[in-house]
Amino acid sequence: MDDGYPTPTSISQKATVALLVQPPISPSSASKIPQGILDNNLHLGYLGRHLLQGLPARYTSQDASQSWLLFWSLQSLSLLKVELDEGNKKRASDTILAMQNPAGAFGGGPGQAPHLLPTYAAICTMGIVGSPSTWSQINRPSLYQFFMSLKEPDGSFRVSQRGEVDVRGVYCLLAVAKLLGMMTRELVLGTREWVRSCQTYEGGFASATIGVGEQSAPLGEAHGGYTFCALAAWVLLESEFPSDKGSKSINLKSLRRWLVNMQGDEDELYGFRGRTNKLVDGCYSWWVGGCFKLLAELEERRGMSGKDAEEPIWNPEGLKQYILYAAQHPAGGLRDKPPKSPDMYHTLYCLAGLSVAQYAATASTTTSTSTTSSTSTSPTFRTIAQSAPSQTSNAPPSLNATDPLFNLTQTHAEAMMAYFKSGEVEAFQ
Amino acid sequence: MSSPTTSAPEPPRYADRPEWSDVIPVEQYENVNPLAPIFYKDIYKDAADYFRGIVKTGEKSQRVLDLTERIIRLNPAHYTAWQYRYETLLAIEADLEDELRLMDELAITYLKTYQVWHHRRLLMLKIRKPATELVFIAKTFREDAKNYHTWSYRQWLLAYFNDDSLWSGELDFVDELLNADIRNNSAWHHRFFTVFQSGVRDGEQDTERILRRELIYVKQSISLAPNNASAWNYLRGILDHNGIPYSKMIAFVQPYTLPNDDQKADLVDLDNPPPSKDAHLPCAAAVEFLADIYEAEGGDSMLKATELWKSLGNEHDVARKKYWEYRIREGLRAIQT
Repeated sequence: MDDGYPTPTSISQKATVALLVQPPISPSSASKIPQGILDNNLHLGYLGRHLLQGLPARYTSQDASQSWLLFWSLQSLSLLKVELDEGNKKRASDTILAMQNPAGAFGGGPGQAPHLLPTYAAICTMGIVGSPSTWSQINRPSLYQFFMSLKEPDGSFRVSQRGEVDVRGVYCLLAVAKLLGMMTRELVLGTREWVRSCQTYEGGFASATIGVGEQSAPLGEAHGGYTFCALAAWVLLESEFPSDKGSKSINLKSLRRWLVNMQGDEDELYGFRGRTNKLVDGCYSWWVGGCFKLLAELEERRGMSGKDAEEPIWNPEGLKQYILYAAQHPAGGLRDKPPKSPDMYHTLYCLAGLSVAQYAATASTTTSTSTTSSTSTSPTFRTIAQSAPSQTSNAPPSLNATDPLFNLTQTHAEAMMAYFKSGEVEAFQ
Repeated sequence: MSSPTTSAPEPPRYADRPEWSDVIPVEQYENVNPLAPIFYKDIYKDAADYFRGIVKTGEKSQRVLDLTERIIRLNPAHYTAWQYRYETLLAIEADLEDELRLMDELAITYLKTYQVWHHRRLLMLKIRKPATELVFIAKTFREDAKNYHTWSYRQWLLAYFNDDSLWSGELDFVDELLNADIRNNSAWHHRFFTVFQSGVRDGEQDTERILRRELIYVKQSISLAPNNASAWNYLRGILDHNGIPYSKMIAFVQPYTLPNDDQKADLVDLDNPPPSKDAHLPCAAAVEFLADIYEAEGGDSMLKATELWKSLGNEHDVARKKYWEYRIREGLRAIQT
């Protein structure tokens, strides 16, 4: 809709819409993608190839994100209800532990400097493949010291020594602190107010905030990735230390409006964009789509939700269309949009978004991970449960549910939190 | 995930250079058979092995700058190489202006990398010459006028140095970008940042006048291309920020909620510019805005609001049907209690 007034934004929007034409349904096709069905085996093949045979040289750009590569692929498997065999679980833990620094935090790879982002990915990966025997090798006292050393007077945190300050780092730190039972008042002093001040006039959140004279101003415009981080950080803080009645809160009304406006129209197959007037991209299926559960939780805390609370305010059925038709790559893996190649990052965030859409669409309360079946598909992968093919109809969820705060299955997140709450673990302070 | 293209012949490996023979390279994984290993090209593996060797001994010297530059060019997201490079620059008291010139090249090549922009910030904290930086940034917007890192770096420069001479050109600068693309939301955000979040600047003390200027600017922008979410968000933003009720805009908004056939062509009201003749009407954002006005009035007007929400969900903004249904539920609940 360019109102007869084309500009670079409307021109690239038009070009993108042309690529997002939903293919006609052809039941005779061998591929499941034209039928709008999630091709589990195709994606399992993609993930297995990369995990076991390794990643091509173009992944050198992710050399400082090695724990992320493991998290993206192993959490994708968890969503597909598959886990590694014991030998490869151990290999995954050993790989992650090789990235642990004497400072207790994790670097992007062995010998790399400690950093909040790879630390989140490392701890979550340990949550997926680990057990108390490997969890005991996480050095909580040093990690806590490291966290405190990154703290700024305004309540924010640097991502590493001399590194940048932004809500990604704050979210990663809080998620890890929660999983490892290290949320203290000392750690989060001032953080709440800092996160709050990242909200922009549009309703979403920016990367960071800066003081200008007396005021503080968000650095950059409202953005899907930063909004997820800020909102999840806010919920983590609220759930640990509920705020006083009088204290300033984030603006839920403008946030809600901004979130629903990130969802594209029919000609965009209802995918999500990450900023106003930008293009849809599969990864925002999670960064924006994942926010609605968090928002609902805050509304519930404030007693704002009525009896219709379980009714979604966005369009989960629509989002399925984008992921199934546009984001699935015919050779396996998921992606930003056609004609792009798939990668590990988009594979996870598209699958996580699809999981959110499946559970929201059925408005079902079944969020537990099924752990029954023992059918083996290969010596490496063990199927945790049999799943029905997913369709854009109102089918029962074929994927596991994912925890909106961590993007782990609840089984994994809860086991880890229970371990670090137990008496067997030494104190971190 | 683009890999840098190398047209020039590959430089010699550190393992083949006699002047590096005193450094013991360190393999990445020593006793682990890693899951999901990356198959690096030899030239990257060689540099990374020598970098780990250097980090181990803590050497900070001119040749470390050479080594870290090679790693950065092959993988600009290698934050440890950046961090070590910065420490080395300080340790050997290198000329930071030279470093900034090298960064001019790298910033354009690796526009989307966090590290190139953060490194620049660290340099600027020492060099403290923000004015020329604003000129450089303007140049990078020719490559990508919505690059998030560049915008937040610009805003950081302005806020951190917070000098009137820096701020003075910002509004003209935003105008230029919005003239090139009125849908550039980054530029709209920058306008908000500059006008409303930078404190009170010289010549801007008359807040009434500023507000009038911004309102007419955004109304004219909407008139040119009504279905532009960035402009509507800006309008809402300045009203919210200044505590002005939306109802003050009713004369402006109403024509945008009507179909093309119902537009009155004869009236010229400079305060309330009408939709352009090619506009796609009714404009959903205007219908939403009008519904917000009715909702704020409450009472009987709430029913007018629910009618508009219904029309959005069924006709003008079907993709968000569930949201409009939610607004109707909440609206009706508000008048029942």
